[in-house]
Amino acid sequence: MSGTKPDILWAPHQVDRFVVCDSELSLYHVESTVNSELKAGSLRLSEDSAATLLSINSDTPYMKCVAWYLNYDPECLLAVGQANGRVVLTSLGQDHNSKFKDLIGKEFVPKHARQCNTLAWNPLDSNWLAAGLDKHRADFSVLIWDICSKYTPDIVPMEKVRLSAGETETTLLVTKPLYELGQNDACLSLCWLPRDQKLLLAGMHRNLAIFDLRNTSQKMFVNTKAVQGVTVDPYFHDRVASFYEGQVAIWDLRKFEKPVLTLTEQPKPLTKVAWCPTRTGLLATLTRDSNIIRLYDMQHTPTPIGDETEPTIIERSVQPCDNYIASFAWHPTSQNRMIVVTPNRTMSDFTVFERISLAWSPITSLMWACGRHLYECAEEENDNSLEKDIATKMRLRALSRYGLDTEQVWRNHILAGNEDPQLKSLWYTLHFMKQYTEDMDQKSPGNKGSLVYAGIKSIVKSSLGMVESSRHNWSSLDKQSDIQNLNEERILALQLCGWIKKGTDIDVGPFLNSLVQEGEWERAAAVALFNLDIRRAIQILNEGASSEKGDLNLNVVAMALSGYTDEKNSLWREMCSTLRLQLNNPYLCVMFAFLTSETGSYDGVLYENKVAVRDRVAFACKFLSDSQLNRYIEKLTNEMKEAGNLEGILLTGLTKDGVDLMESYVDRTGDVQTASYCMLQGSPLDVLKDERVQYWIENYRNLLDAWRFWHKRAEFDIHRSKLDPSSKPLAQVFVSCNFCGKSISYSCSTVPHQGRGFSQYGVSGSPTKSKVTSCPGCRKPLPRCALCLINMGTPVSSCPGGSKSDEKVDLSKDKKLAQFNNWFTWCHNCRHGGHAGHMLSWFRDHAECPVSACTCKCMQLDTTGNLVPAETVQP
Amino acid sequence: MFVARHIAADHKDLIHDVSFDFHGRRMATCSSDQSVKVWDKSESGDWHCTASWKTHSGSVWRVTWAHPEFGQVLASCSFDRTAAVWEEIVGESNDKLRGQSHWVKRTTLVDSRTSVTDVKFAPKHMGLMLATCSADGIVRIYEAPDVMNLSQWSLQHEISCKLSCSCISWNPSSSRAHSPMIAVGSDDSSPNAMAKVQIFEYNENTRKYAKAETLMTVTDPVHDIAFAPNLGRSFHILAIATKDVRIFTLKPVRKELTSSGGPTKFEIHIVAQFDNHNSQVWRVSWNITGTVLASSGDDGCVRLWKANYMDNWKCTGILKGNGSPVNGNSQQGNSNPSLGSNIPNLQNSLNGSSSG
Repeated sequence: MSGTKPDILWAPHQVDRFVVCDSELSLYHVESTVNSELKAGSLRLSEDSAATLLSINSDTPYMKCVAWYLNYDPECLLAVGQANGRVVLTSLGQDHNSKFKDLIGKEFVPKHARQCNTLAWNPLDSNWLAAGLDKHRADFSVLIWDICSKYTPDIVPMEKVRLSAGETETTLLVTKPLYELGQNDACLSLCWLPRDQKLLLAGMHRNLAIFDLRNTSQKMFVNTKAVQGVTVDPYFHDRVASFYEGQVAIWDLRKFEKPVLTLTEQPKPLTKVAWCPTRTGLLATLTRDSNIIRLYDMQHTPTPIGDETEPTIIERSVQPCDNYIASFAWHPTSQNRMIVVTPNRTMSDFTVFERISLAWSPITSLMWACGRHLYECAEEENDNSLEKDIATKMRLRALSRYGLDTEQVWRNHILAGNEDPQLKSLWYTLHFMKQYTEDMDQKSPGNKGSLVYAGIKSIVKSSLGMVESSRHNWSSLDKQSDIQNLNEERILALQLCGWIKKGTDIDVGPFLNSLVQEGEWERAAAVALFNLDIRRAIQILNEGASSEKGDLNLNVVAMALSGYTDEKNSLWREMCSTLRLQLNNPYLCVMFAFLTSETGSYDGVLYENKVAVRDRVAFACKFLSDSQLNRYIEKLTNEMKEAGNLEGILLTGLTKDGVDLMESYVDRTGDVQTASYCMLQGSPLDVLKDERVQYWIENYRNLLDAWRFWHKRAEFDIHRSKLDPSSKPLAQVFVSCNFCGKSISYSCSTVPHQGRGFSQYGVSGSPTKSKVTSCPGCRKPLPRCALCLINMGTPVSSCPGGSKSDEKVDLSKDKKLAQFNNWFTWCHNCRHGGHAGHMLSWFRDHAECPVSACTCKCMQLDTTGNLVPAETVQP
Repeated sequence: MFVARHIAADHKDLIHDVSFDFHGRRMATCSSDQSVKVWDKSESGDWHCTASWKTHSGSVWRVTWAHPEFGQVLASCSFDRTAAVWEEIVGESNDKLRGQSHWVKRTTLVDSRTSVTDVKFAPKHMGLMLATCSADGIVRIYEAPDVMNLSQWSLQHEISCKLSCSCISWNPSSSRAHSPMIAVGSDDSSPNAMAKVQIFEYNENTRKYAKAETLMTVTDPVHDIAFAPNLGRSFHILAIATKDVRIFTLKPVRKELTSSGGPTKFEIHIVAQFDNHNSQVWRVSWNITGTVLASSGDDGCVRLWKANYMDNWKCTGILKGNGSPVNGNSQQGNSNPSLGSNIPNLQNSLNGSSSG
């Protein structure tokens, strides 16, 4: 503490106080600023704490070291070691009437003046204070003082009396130490061993020594250079750290001959080493001119002698501030908390975090362990501020039966939350595909039905070279445009795009009406225009402008539209082709692009990416020649495949191309749910057997299982088996008769017997053949229920405690449950069993099997079986 | 977006690992207090400790669940140089009535001569297998040929990694197109700039694991490694906790382009690298869909990472390790302690020194 390098100490008992000492002692009070503003005059220590200066004590010049009295002291009693070797007791308290009044100002004087290096209060006898001094050939270097000693020798050297200010203070001088140790040696560091009050560990000039005050003539020592900063691990009293230059040595006092380990050497000399008082095995070290504190996390209790396992040490570093750190101090009670001070006396208070381990649960909650504490963190369900993760989305969609509406297929996008335009497009596409497949099948069975699901790309290909264009008149305008004659394939394509409805009628009217109804004015106007009905387009825009939600600017657009002129060099044409780029709505933009385009070049429409793919494709079907259309569709398909854009399913259909597209969609989003349901909508079997499709399905089923959505999984499997009968699992279990070994189930006669299928679980109770009390093969009776003692296969009578007495109610939930009561059940373990209803009611109040002398706890054997499906818990 | 809730763990020392079972209804924790605790979630969402027992004679580093189709089975690994397999037993005492379950040790795997640093069950489709890795640099793969008898485990493979291993991760993909694969991370802190992540793949022909890839760019000690749940993707995602969070994608080059029989070739891309934890990153964990990554680091925070549709990864959440909310200004600022940032040649690592 040469004035430039401050040291810092936490009060051992008043844990909100600390002292910074350089040339003077300054006492600070720490406050939390979590709920309050920073007070004037206080210093910010961290985000949530600040310090206020309470008092300053500059009574003791030439300070070399400071130690805080270990007993509770409201006065902040401190021992200060000075450059002349004197130890002075001083205080930072304001109350001068305390019991320590006598002690304050007391000085302990060595025989020969030289620097005091270190001070240590005895943790057991609070009056004992050890001081370590520099070498003097005629004196001892370790002096142990009793601060309550009243003893002042008669012969006080005159110069010492003169040194002290007044006569009264001579009584405060103590010159006779309790013990004197280490003659003709230097003491650099000291610490008391908590094992015994009278054991003192000292870092002497070239060795570490343990002095036993019960017998001062003896000492235990080991020669080493690492004699500085000796400190005992507060958790393992045999473990001691000391340092020399840049190296820390860890000692085990039980085998004191050599360090048990030395830590990696630092390039700069160390200045302080301290064990964390609130956590086992954490050692903090500081080197000179450094802004980091290095921590060594010793994960292991020192092993008994003889075991040579290498301890695991995790080395970490913390950087509390940008400046160099002069000193640091662990907080005595707050977990892993530390305060540091820089040479210019800025301070900072922080906590060293434990290594956090963490894990996600399958339902979106995160668990982590920090130190000895566990924290769980769940995403709030009804939070709309951020886009939900796909895991949450899929869960919610599974609950809303997404993908399972096979009649109104388009409705699935509403079940998905009606938020994703791609999903909307996908389900409309699938809806139309389904609709027109049925349509086709009705018209000419087995003809082109499969083609519909193959997508527009294949449909257009199949019509190659059969279309001629013809000029069509614009309604109410003196203009003609080349429009392709619509053959069957193109009509189908337009139908899939949604522009025209079922039937031979190629009228876009109904489509326009539905768009207008949904408020998609711009899109409706564009579609009307593409069908060469500019009057309708203008009318739609006007309608939009006058509607409640509509944009008034639509009127302006309508006006601009009505000024259309076919002349090549008109101002209208020139302005529209430049100004259209400033229109925000892509549909308005393409309207003008269409009107200003040269004949036969429609790139402004075809490559406007913001326009829905289905509208662009429909446009292309109307205006492009076969070869152009093919090229365009090809190009667009590849684009969609690349991007994994679900709108592209319109083009690819559920083909290999579609799987490719879906693969990039899954790669991008992880949405195996949509992928599975989409592919199960109507893919041909060879597509369905694609390894990737099967893999998505498997992954989705696995997700449902992990979420315990077992009912949803079962529904999914049923849905799947409609398209892929091979996915239907074979009957898993047969019950065989004890006597003849044949299956007792009637229905089994139709199903081939699967290998050695005699086994463990049975189903009966189908209403038409419910009475099966004996084996159909050999007519021997079936076993009896352990509870009612009636042969299985007899309808169950109501069980006491069972809920339903009448089983022949209507087709209600009760009925289904009642039939389940007839089921054969038994325990795999003890092989006792009976009617399911009876068994369930027995185990409602019993843990053990109902058969006498059987102690099997049948109902508890399977942990997973006790889990409840999550759907029943969900709202 | 997220709210943290404290759970009284009652471990007597640091908790080193948390692990959920397949359904997320059970959880296991392990600690330096040499014990493992099993927790069950009640219908109301609270966690109850239903078992706590001493598992090892040293710190327990990791604990992991087997798929429930193999029963209620846990594996743990420890500083005491062993890994152990545990099974829940029901029906033998009245534990269940007291809300306690009973776990018995089925086997102790004693092949390692040093601390066993990680243990992981293989994906379900491979059968009941588990892998361990240890400080002596060896990954061991065990198999229980008979799932009814968990006391019989045979050591199937020993893979030498030449570097002290700290973590392993199985590739969870069950696609037939992907061979079994395991990634190994090393926390070796010696100043050589060797690559710290190696990926081994099972070769059907030689019936051995062979090195498929080495991530040459990862040269700092690696503390954790995790393959994302594959979820039908055509590529694999690997997260690495080293001095920063890194996310790699491994896209298998189509088989027909490579010579058959050899290891799969991968196109490896680093898609994200974040040093927001300022210094060491300790753990990484993927959510069930492999779309959100959680990481923890020396800044005492848990951070969540998510990719947008353009495959740009960003931080979507920060939580303090003690559950308190993060103030707006806490991410930067001079007055705040930041852990070991911008200091070159930081050598934070496990096994920093080991003499004596």
